[in-house]
Amino acid sequence: MMNSKMKQLLTALAISTAVTAAPVSSVQAAEKAASTIEQGKKLAYSRSKGNCLACHMAGEGAMPGNIGPALIAMKLRYPDKQKLYNKVWGTAEAQTVPNSMMPRFGHNGILSDSEISKIVDYIYTL
Amino acid sequence: MKKTLLIALSLGVTVGAASTTALAVDPEMDRQQTVDYFKAKNPKIAPEEYINGAYIYNADKFAQWEAAEEFPPYLDAIDAGEAAWNKDKAVFEKCFGSDVSKIRAKYPYFDDAANKVITLEASINKCRTDAGLKPYKLKKGTIARVSAFLAYNARGQKIDVKIDSEGARKAYEAGRALYIEPRGQLGLSCAKCHTYNAGRKARSNLLSPHLGHTTHFPVFRAKWQALGTLHRRYVGCNKNMRAKPFKAQGTEYSNLEFFEAYTSNGLEINGPGYRE
Ligand code: HEC
Ligand code: HEC
Repeated sequence: MMNSKMKQLLTALAISTAVTAAPVSSVQAAEKAASTIEQGKKLAYSRSKGNCLACHMAGEGAMPGNIGPALIAMKLRYPDKQKLYNKVWGTAEAQTVPNSMMPRFGHNGILSDSEISKIVDYIYTL
Repeated sequence: MKKTLLIALSLGVTVGAASTTALAVDPEMDRQQTVDYFKAKNPKIAPEEYINGAYIYNADKFAQWEAAEEFPPYLDAIDAGEAAWNKDKAVFEKCFGSDVSKIRAKYPYFDDAANKVITLEASINKCRTDAGLKPYKLKKGTIARVSAFLAYNARGQKIDVKIDSEGARKAYEAGRALYIEPRGQLGLSCAKCHTYNAGRKARSNLLSPHLGHTTHFPVFRAKWQALGTLHRRYVGCNKNMRAKPFKAQGTEYSNLEFFEAYTSNGLEINGPGYRE
């Protein structure tokens, strides 16, 4: 009895140290990704930056407008993440809707490429 | 249905191409198309309801707004406008006549001799400076109060803007172009918000319809806690579009007002109005 419990404990310990100790870089990478998403969310919600909520429902953002479609199931609708980036950046090919209200965030220099990329990382989680 | 309508609408077709000036616009046909467009968009809303702005799109907001209009916060401002009128009554009556109910409905109009649109607010100030009085500031304060006093006395009369010269038609066209063309970093135009997306929400702000935009000005806005003129509102919208605003009472906004007012022909004057 004692023995087996001891064993369990030891293996558990071994595993947990393995997790925390061994792949330090992957943990940092995960943290970094999480913070990119968090930054993207801030940029998306901020009135002076993306202000996406002016027109779109997005996550738990308060008082969203309804001019554009709700930003949900983005992974499903944009299997190719680059296409989503292009839509937000406002590439020529992405201009498919006449008289669209959707601003061309990259094309018109409203946001930087890296800001757009963070926003896309965030909305890709929705 | 919606799509064919959008394409049929001349607004949609002339966007982009510099054709807006090359193509002669028939203002009356244009106005009728706008009325038809809004009718098709919301068949249940009667044309005469468009004087009530964004509130026509939401029953709760309409009820709240109606309640606010029972004891509206602009009553003191109307009194102050009357007092300002009476203070310089001799001067004003020389310019506008003595019947204060017969003034608002004459504006805006196109003055062929001066070759420009004359708005009520511009006339008030011209009247003052011609008589050696100091002009009022243009976007708020006394000018808005006097304008509100005159609008209040003209309530129930109908907007009747006339276009019967080439100059007037050109001014209409210039205002229309300003309304349709995307400007500023966000690539927005007045039409995108107040025609194509009227009735939708930008954050929690319901977007008002272009039709009827001028009937209830000047407006007392809760946000301003004071009256503001139509051109003050234009400045605000241009800033929201991240586009450089024009000068209040300059040519651009006067043409824009002329265009918006003409489109609202036949609708009742119900100024001043209360807005969120
Ligand atoms: C001023 C209004 C407005 C703002 C602000 C705005 N959008 Fe849009 N957006 C629209 C409209 C309208 C559409 C639908 C028409 C179209 O696809 O162009 C749209 C479409 C989209 C689409 C395509 C949706 C789909 O179903 O395929 C994405 C993705 C998107 N927006 C993301 C964003 C992001 C991210 C932001 C903020 C950085 C943003 N939008 C800000 C109005 C806006
Ligand atoms: C990004 C969207 C947007 C654009 C573009 C825009 N507006 Fe507005 N406008 C609003 C909002 C929001 C309000 C406040 C709610 C309302 O009454 O519509 C408003 C209000 C107004 C009002 C007052 C309506 C009332 O009943 O009191 C007028 C008039 C107006 N806008 C005209 C214009 C004109 C002219 C332009 C172009 C120069 C323009 N707007 C561009 C969003 C916009």
